[in-house]
Amino acid sequence: MVGALRRYAFTIAGIAIGVAGLVALGAIAERIVQFIEGGDRFVLGQISVAGRGMGMGAGFTGGGLLPARVIRRIAGVEGVSGVQPQVMLPLNPTTSQFMTLTQELVLGMDLSVPMPNRHYRELPVRNGRFLRDGDRHVTVLGAQLAASRGLDVGGRLVLEGQPYEVVGVLDRMLTAPDRFVIVTIADAREQWVAKDPMIRTLLASGAAALTAGDLNTGAAVGWRDGADPDAIARRIRADVSDVNVQLPSELSRLLRQSTAFFSALIGGIAALAFVIGGLSLANTIAAAVFERVRDFGVKRALGASDLQLGREVLAESLGVTLSGGLAGIAIAAALGLGIDTWAARTGQQLFYFSPRLLGGALVFSVLLGAASATYATARIVRLSPAEAIRRGA
Amino acid sequence: MLLRAEGLTKTFRAPSGEAVPVLGGVDLRVDAGDFAAITGPSGSGKSTLLNLLGLLEPADGGAIWYGDDRVSARSRRAQGIARGRHVGFVFQSFMLLASLTALDNVLLAARYVGGVDDARRRRARDLLAAFGLAGRAGHYPAQLSGGEQQRVAFCRAVLNDPPLLLADEPTGNLDDANGAVILDALRTRAREGGAVVVVTHRPDIARDATVVLQLRDGYVR
Repeated sequence: MVGALRRYAFTIAGIAIGVAGLVALGAIAERIVQFIEGGDRFVLGQISVAGRGMGMGAGFTGGGLLPARVIRRIAGVEGVSGVQPQVMLPLNPTTSQFMTLTQELVLGMDLSVPMPNRHYRELPVRNGRFLRDGDRHVTVLGAQLAASRGLDVGGRLVLEGQPYEVVGVLDRMLTAPDRFVIVTIADAREQWVAKDPMIRTLLASGAAALTAGDLNTGAAVGWRDGADPDAIARRIRADVSDVNVQLPSELSRLLRQSTAFFSALIGGIAALAFVIGGLSLANTIAAAVFERVRDFGVKRALGASDLQLGREVLAESLGVTLSGGLAGIAIAAALGLGIDTWAARTGQQLFYFSPRLLGGALVFSVLLGAASATYATARIVRLSPAEAIRRGA
Repeated sequence: MLLRAEGLTKTFRAPSGEAVPVLGGVDLRVDAGDFAAITGPSGSGKSTLLNLLGLLEPADGGAIWYGDDRVSARSRRAQGIARGRHVGFVFQSFMLLASLTALDNVLLAARYVGGVDDARRRRARDLLAAFGLAGRAGHYPAQLSGGEQQRVAFCRAVLNDPPLLLADEPTGNLDDANGAVILDALRTRAREGGAVVVVTHRPDIARDATVVLQLRDGYVR
């Protein structure tokens, strides 16, 4: 086998380049898929509620204030298992609204209530710890945001003039929380007041009977086991006035609509990857077999049967495509790692080499290689040995 | 009788589609111990006749027997088996596989007929040693001279001890000394009871032959 691999060094290199292209483009597509699927998983795990209104310009559940009394009424709706008040603010109000898919947000969570999101009972912490109820002026950062600012546990981040100690950094989730600054809800309310002159005016005027507990931009609502989340959401909409309620399935559909361009892009990239990588691989293997036409003629002159030749070619092509496939994956991974290391300076990750991508690329190359080799062999064994020798001379 | 051919015809098709008759009905009989020579000018059909005799391509008409077996009427697969068991080939341009060592090239004959075992491996080494190539067993064809390559090709042709050797201009690419070694080996093979059919331009080779077939334009002269 080692001898065969040495003989086929150029073929393996050709396959490796094709597979590297396939895997690299596939990894970009996987990265986009992860982002969309992550968001979808999040919105399908909870009912998102905001106060009725034009929105505070915050987060993706934008709406009006969601006062404490409304939250209490939501908690009383049949089928609701828990309501977690939240404050979601743009980290930088001058820019955060432009890139709605990748906005940097401050998320304030009321940690006296367990996270109601069924798919994220807790956010995965890579370094340090998550927030605890009662924490003040400490923060947990999303992986991408932490990387883009060179922050880790023990670091300091200034929010609205107030220093915050980083006590934790989340695992890279490849979706929205990667760009979150997570604080306790008390800290988030403090920042909101500092950020928003209108809130300050409202509080100072005494025109509205507001307390700190009323300063919520939204709430995550959980449901009891076996309940239909869309039905619960409709019930909240019916029973509680002055709220914007998002049906999980509707929010998922909206999210998918808003990412339709990316979905089409993924399809295009995947098709391109398959065509370029597949053609390159099939062509390389078939050419490698065809260029040995004289050897086939000689072997048949020595008594080799079609079956014996077919077995030999198939075994060699499997070895060659497997080696080329693995080398291609290694090249793509090295390339992706290099680019991602460079991109990490701005907090980006462009590639995601998922197990299904790597396994799929390997299986695809081996099957396509075997098919190409079988096709080429079938063409060659149709020739008489003398004709094969003549053509290969 | 080891080999018999009757009324062999072959026509090739030119790229223009025109039919080009190459053999027009050739008979030949070769017995054990014969050293047969097929001679004639270039384009007379010598190599084509040898290919037909070795079942390397199908004749358009006529029949071929290996012993009592009318092999020309057998299936492609059966012809392949018959070819492997009964015939050894020596080609003008050696036809060694560049990716295999000298020893592996010799053993290639066993790979498809009977399989490679210790006995075959020993015999391959002995043959190489008998032709002065013991120290070259691990060399690749590109590392061997033309004479050495043809000796390796001869070892491959006789490894399975086939009753019939077919040689197409076996000395055509060799100098006199190396050519003499190969010719001597072929003659010895015939003397020892095998049958050898050689395609050649050289009158001196034909002079020593027990059977001579002179072709001109596809017909026996």
